[in-house]
This record gives sequence, C-alpha cells and structure tokens, in this order.
Amino acid sequence: MIMKNNRARHLFNIVCALMLAVPVLAMAAATPGAKAPEFSEVDAAGKTHSLENYKGRWLVLEWFNKDCPYVKKHYGSGNMQALQKKYTGQDINWLTVISSAKGKQGYLEPAQAAEVAASHNLNASAPFLLDADGSMGRAYGAKTTPHMFIINPEGLVVYAGAIDDNDSANPAVIPSSANYVAAALDASLTGGAVEVASSRAYGCSIKY
Amino acid sequence: MIAGIRNLNPDWGQGEDRVLIRNLSNTIVHGLLLWITCCFSLGALAQDTAAGDHVSVRWLAPEQFGQGRDTVGLYFDVDPGWHVYWRNAGDSGAAPKFDRSSASAEISEILWPFPVRLPIEHLTNLGYEGDVAYLFDVVPTSAPLKLHVNLEWLVCKVDCIPGFGTMSLERPVGDIARWSPQDLAARDRFLSRVPKNSAESPWQVDTLQRDSDQLRLTLRHHSDEYFTPHVFPLDGALLVASAPDVQRDAERITYSFALMPGAPATDSTGFVVATTSEAWQFDDIPIDGASTRNPSPKSAPAQPLWLLILAAIAGGGILNLMPCVFPVLSIKLFGLMGGRTPAPERIKTGLLYSAGVLATFALLGGLLLALRAGGAAIGWGFQLQSAPVVLALILLFWLMALSFSGVYEFGHRLMNLAGRSRGGSFATGVLAVFVAAPCTGPFMGAALGAATLLPTPSAMAIFIGLGVGLALPFALLCLFPRLLRRLPQPGPWMETLRQFLAFPLYITVIWLLWVLGRLVGEDGWLLGSLVLLAVVFALWLSQHLHRIGKLFAWLSVFVVVALGLIAADHLQGERGPAITVGNSVPRGWQPYDRPAIDAALARGQGVFIDYTAAWCITCQVNKKLVLDTDETAALFAKNNVYLVRADWTDQDPAITAALAELGRNSVPVYAWYAPGEKSPVLLPQILQASMIEALFAESSRSDNE
Repeated sequence: MIMKNNRARHLFNIVCALMLAVPVLAMAAATPGAKAPEFSEVDAAGKTHSLENYKGRWLVLEWFNKDCPYVKKHYGSGNMQALQKKYTGQDINWLTVISSAKGKQGYLEPAQAAEVAASHNLNASAPFLLDADGSMGRAYGAKTTPHMFIINPEGLVVYAGAIDDNDSANPAVIPSSANYVAAALDASLTGGAVEVASSRAYGCSIKY
Repeated sequence: MIAGIRNLNPDWGQGEDRVLIRNLSNTIVHGLLLWITCCFSLGALAQDTAAGDHVSVRWLAPEQFGQGRDTVGLYFDVDPGWHVYWRNAGDSGAAPKFDRSSASAEISEILWPFPVRLPIEHLTNLGYEGDVAYLFDVVPTSAPLKLHVNLEWLVCKVDCIPGFGTMSLERPVGDIARWSPQDLAARDRFLSRVPKNSAESPWQVDTLQRDSDQLRLTLRHHSDEYFTPHVFPLDGALLVASAPDVQRDAERITYSFALMPGAPATDSTGFVVATTSEAWQFDDIPIDGASTRNPSPKSAPAQPLWLLILAAIAGGGILNLMPCVFPVLSIKLFGLMGGRTPAPERIKTGLLYSAGVLATFALLGGLLLALRAGGAAIGWGFQLQSAPVVLALILLFWLMALSFSGVYEFGHRLMNLAGRSRGGSFATGVLAVFVAAPCTGPFMGAALGAATLLPTPSAMAIFIGLGVGLALPFALLCLFPRLLRRLPQPGPWMETLRQFLAFPLYITVIWLLWVLGRLVGEDGWLLGSLVLLAVVFALWLSQHLHRIGKLFAWLSVFVVVALGLIAADHLQGERGPAITVGNSVPRGWQPYDRPAIDAALARGQGVFIDYTAAWCITCQVNKKLVLDTDETAALFAKNNVYLVRADWTDQDPAITAALAELGRNSVPVYAWYAPGEKSPVLLPQILQASMIEALFAESSRSDNE
C-alpha cells in the first residue's frame, strides 16, 4: 500500500524514531527482568571485575559513598555488613561500587579505599570497585547511595532500587524496616517469586 | 497525660519502638517543663523551635486558637541554595517526617504545598527552593491546646544533611483565633499553594495511559487560559521525577512521564497539577490501556483465542457477499464453471487466490500492528483514510464497472485485475481483501478488536483467520469439482448476470466518491468525477483513433490520473484532521465530546453513542434504516437520550481511545448507557429497529418492577 497521506507519513516517522530510540533507552538503566549491563572495573586491590566473571552465579551490587548520611545509617548500625556477611556466606557475590568522580564527595584513591574497607568492616566479595569515571554507575542508572541491584545467574536483573522501605536517615528505624534486598534474595534462593522487584532508590545523589 | 496521647495521623509508620521511647522521654521532659512553666508562670515554652545545619524550624500557629478548625504550620527557614523536599522527593532525597501527637486536638494529615523541580546534577528532585511551611489542620478538643511533633528532615544542596528535632506547642483556646499578622500572612502564603480538590481545577483528566516505558497523562482545559501547567507525580516508585515531555493541541495537553525501570503494575496513580500560584490534586486516576501494558496473563481477553479465530473465519466468509467483493469473485468463478478447466489449473487458481488473500491480510495486519506498536492511534479500515488510495480504488471500480456493462472490453490487460486469467488470481485475492476491509462484517468487529489487544502472534492468527474465511468458499469450489458441478451450467445468463453485477460496482464508485468528498471536502466530488470522465473519454478516443492517437489518449489519462492523485493528497493535507464532525452532524446528535458525555451520565441521562465512519458501509446502512428514521428519533426523544455520533472517518484519536476502552478498533459500534449506568451495553453491528425499541422496553419494565 502506498503511504501517501500526511498522517501515514507522520506515523512512519514515529515508528522510525521509536526504533532508533529503543537501543538508547535500553542502555540507560538496569531494568528488572532485563539483561544486566556489562561492566569491567578495577577494585581497590587492583583486581578487575566484569559481569562475565559472575556468569552462572548470584551477584549483588551496592553503591557506596562513605560521607553520605544514608550510607552511614546502614554502615554505622552494622546493617549493611551483616547483610554482606549473611549472603556472601551463602555463596552469593557482593560488589560495593564507588562512582564518585575525582574531587567530589566520596571519591577514594585505591589506598584510601582499602583503609575505608577495613575501617568499615566491609564484608563484600572484593574491596570497593573504583568507578571514578562513572561508566558503571551510568550504565546501571545508579542514582543514589545506597542504590542496590541483584543479578541472577542467567545475568538478568531481578531487583533494582532501595535497600529497604524506610527513607529515614535514622538508624533506629532499621529493625522495623522491610529489607527489599534480603526479601528478594531469600525468595529467589528458595525458588519463589520476587515480590518487590523495583523501588524508589532513596539516599544521596551519586556524585558523578 | 501519657495514656491520653492520641496520634491521629502517624506519618512515621516505621520505627515505632524508637518513636515510642522518644515519645515517652519527650513527654516526661515536656511534662517537667510544663510543671516548671506553671509554677513559675513563665510565658514561653521551651522546645518550640528546632534547628540543624542550614535549617531552622518554627511554628506558624495562632497566639490563641478559636473554637473551630484552623490550619497551623511548621515553617522551615532554609539557607539560600539549600532545599528540603516534597512528599515525593523525586530521584533522590527524602520527604521530611512528622510524627505528631496531641491529646487536646484532632489533627489532619500533612498538607504539602506544591513543589518545584530541582535539577541536581544528573537527577531531578521535587522540593522547595528556599523557605517552606508544611501545614496541617487542627480542631481543638480541650484547652489549652497542646501539640507535640518529632521531626526528621533532609536538607540538600548537592550533599545532604539529615536533621532531627522535637517541638511542642501550647496555646490557649478562646472564642476566636488570634494570629500575629506576620505568621498569618506566612501561613496563608503557603496555604494558597496547597493543592485544592481536583473538581475545582480548570484542567481535567482526559486519559491516563500506560505503555512499556511511559505513562501518558492527557489533560483537557475547561478555561480559555492558554497556559501549560506543571504536573508532579505523587508516586516516586512509579514515575521518575524529571520533567515530562509535553505536547499540546487546541484542547488537550499530553504529558509523557518516564516510568521507573521495572515499575510495578498499578491500576491507578495520582498527580498534582500546578500553575505558578495554585495547584489541584488528582488522586487515584485509573490507568487505561491494560491493552498496551506489558503483556501479562491478567490482560487476556474474556473469549478464548480459538473462539475469536472461529469468529474471524466466519466474518471473513461473510465478506464474500459484500457488494464490493461479490462481483469480482463471481467473474472469477464464471471462468471455472462447466468443468472445462483442467484440474491442476483449477487447483492452482484456487491456491493462488488464497495466497493472495492471506498475504494481503498478513501484510495489512502486520502494518496495523507495527503502527500500533509505534503508538499510533489507528484501526481497521485505515487504508481508506488516504485520499489517493480512495481515488485509485474509485478508478479501479469504475473501469471494472464499465467492463461489466460491456461498454468496453478490456481484453487481457486490466481484466487480469478483475480476475479472468490465471496470472491474475493472486491479484484478485489482493483486491478482494483491499476492497472488503471497510465492509466490516458482523463477526469481524469483535475479532478485530481483540486482535489489537492480544500479543502479536495471536493477533496475526486472527488476521489470518479472517483471510482464511474470505478465501475459503472460492478455494473449496476450486478444490472440489463436485461443488462446481452443482452450480448452474454456463450460458447466456452469465452475460446478463455480469451486466447486472456492474450496478453494485457503480454503487461502490458512488460510495467511494462520497468517502473522498468526506475526506477532502466538496472538491473531492469534482476531482473524482473529472478523473472518471477523463478515463471514459480516453476509452472512447482509443476506440476511434489509430495507434498514435491511442498512445496519446492513454498518456493523457495517465497524466490526469497522476494529477488527480497529487491533488487529492494535497487537498487532504490542506484540510488537516478532524474535519467532518461539526457541520455535518444532523440535529439531535452531538459530536463526540467526553466531558459532555460524562456530564450527561452524571445527570442520570441515557446515552447512545454511534461510533461510525463515512467509509463504513455497515454504519451507513444502519444509520439510514434504523438510527435516522423518524420512529427511532421519536423513541430517543421520548426517553430523553443524549445522542452522540462519534465520527471516526478521519481517525480522531479520542474516538480511537474510546473504542479501545470498549475493546474494539473498528466501526460500527453502538454503545448504550442506560440511565444511571456507568458501563455500556454494546448492540449488534447489524441494527434493527426492534433492538432500539427493546432498550426502552426493558428500561420501562424494570422501572415498573
């Protein structure tokens, strides 16, 4: 059929524009149900980690900024370290990422990062991944610290969002908060469905 | 006092232990302070302010409360460049938390003044640049009035600093409220920015639709004001906070919000619509378009797929009898009669024809689905909304009609299209689909409507089902010669029948000319008639001239037709969309206008909506035989029915959306809303006067009971 009229031409343009837009949108964030974006970052000890290394295994990603009050909430109370310990003990990988740019709040040189990892009793699978150019953070659409992502052994994102349902900066609310990450991991490991796969990631903006 | 603490509205759902302890300790401290205050008759209370880095908080409250409701506030004095947050904080940050309690007053929820969008590096936050007051209503129940609040806030520039505080208020209660003028002015300044009831808004919600990564809110304005309001989403887990894409036309403004990646499916959500000085809150707007949502098992239609495909096949079969299709097929059939065609030839013809039908259905269906996926508001019959396509069809039918009449023998040239030769069988199939599409058969409506709601493979199955239905009768005749033999033997009657069949084709030409007129205006008639005249003249010339003259005649026809097509395209372009409704809707019938329909429903008036289009034959027949008769008009008038003619000739997107809500994307659709009913009854696609009578017979019977 010849598409001669203006409306048809207009529709055709829309279709073309959408086709062009799709890959761009797909790259903008890690979306529950979709494939996790690739990454390759060096940790504080100089070791390179990429998504490929964690194929066939569960992976938790956590964004970190030592000066953010919400990070302090979860580290000062020991909540984050306890989660790290519990799940790395169940053969789940946990990477904590710093995407602060050089000169911005939260940026750490490798040596400083190693010190902060020790002083914070970090129980992640590796000392901090140092994403100073923000490439990994941007690929995942990480907005805040602590922004959390869970990736399953097939490489699909099963959770993206806040650590729990209470955006208070007060550590006293932790015991009565519903922890989305723990719930998603527990459900997945027992073969159940993830009830909450996405939430508003509260916290401090990542200082790209 | 401790036992008497009433927390009417705990904003702070979590951390109850902590809150309880804090309440307890604060109450004790508070009590002690009160005791000191009473004993020493000190005028001021401690703890009536709170402060943190870059923020100080104080009460906005009357010096003396009156008897009735009053609105008080917590005034946040924020350093320049820093900001605090709205109830939905946006991409990062957090709304302040107010854990309030009072034993001597009833207190309302927090009233949040509407925010602004704060771009913070790569994110967007929703909050307040500078000072703000968070307000709530208070109704004193005993005197003196005492309030207590545990506060938590987050103040940000780029970095964020949380703050905590507790504040108390104790004021006498008298006959009338007494405010300090400054506090009252400050309170009123922020109270005027608290969203009002949505009913008072000059903008009303038209539609709210969700697709894979967007939520589109369409507002319609009920004022002359040409202003595009800001819209803030209430749910930060559903929508990102960045400014939506805005498109507006004369009546509507559409805001396209990006969904949060992996946002959960919800049935409804809310927004605040704001000018620069006031705002209105819309809670729980239902989200339409379960159709366009990510395919989920829940959105499957009520009918099973096999039933829809069966209906599609039946509908396709009925298309064979449509006045535009029948002549084409009968001529084709004549060639096969009498059993003179050898079997392989016959089978080949049948298969080629079926292939033509199926390929065209697949192509049109695929195109429709592709355009739908692109967000276009179109439906079946869309090919007849292009003026050049209509003009080309007019020409084709005209030539066929002339040939049938015996005015001119096309020989083996154009007759291929009409389907006498074997090579044309595929083309006959294509043609049959093309001309049959607008004649939506009785079973096609439901199947086509369902097709657009289903995932692509099922939808294609339905389109193919229609094709199978259309192809089946002819294919069967080709494959089973016994059936052929049952048909009458060929003879002179065939010539007579052929000449007779020219007349449905002439009618089709007249109908398509009318469609063209509706599409491009009066000039359409003139243009169409001139092209037809030119063709007949060229035919005559070529019969009476020699070779060069013939060539010249056909060249001029080619030029005339090309010019005609260009002119038709140009005319349609000039005319633009939404042309046909206003001036041509007959008296008694209103053009489609959603708020007017809603208003009629709200009045408890019965509403009858005729979804129609100029290119839909079934619609025109129903209109002439049933809807526009004096009897029906009298019946509607007697029962005070609000009549709406939704003219879809030029694909009004509002009507496309309304059809989608009814689960259809083709016309005709007849929707009857009995008085007081919010959901319609859909009438059959072939109307009878008795069906309209039955509507009122039922309603009067139920009235009596």
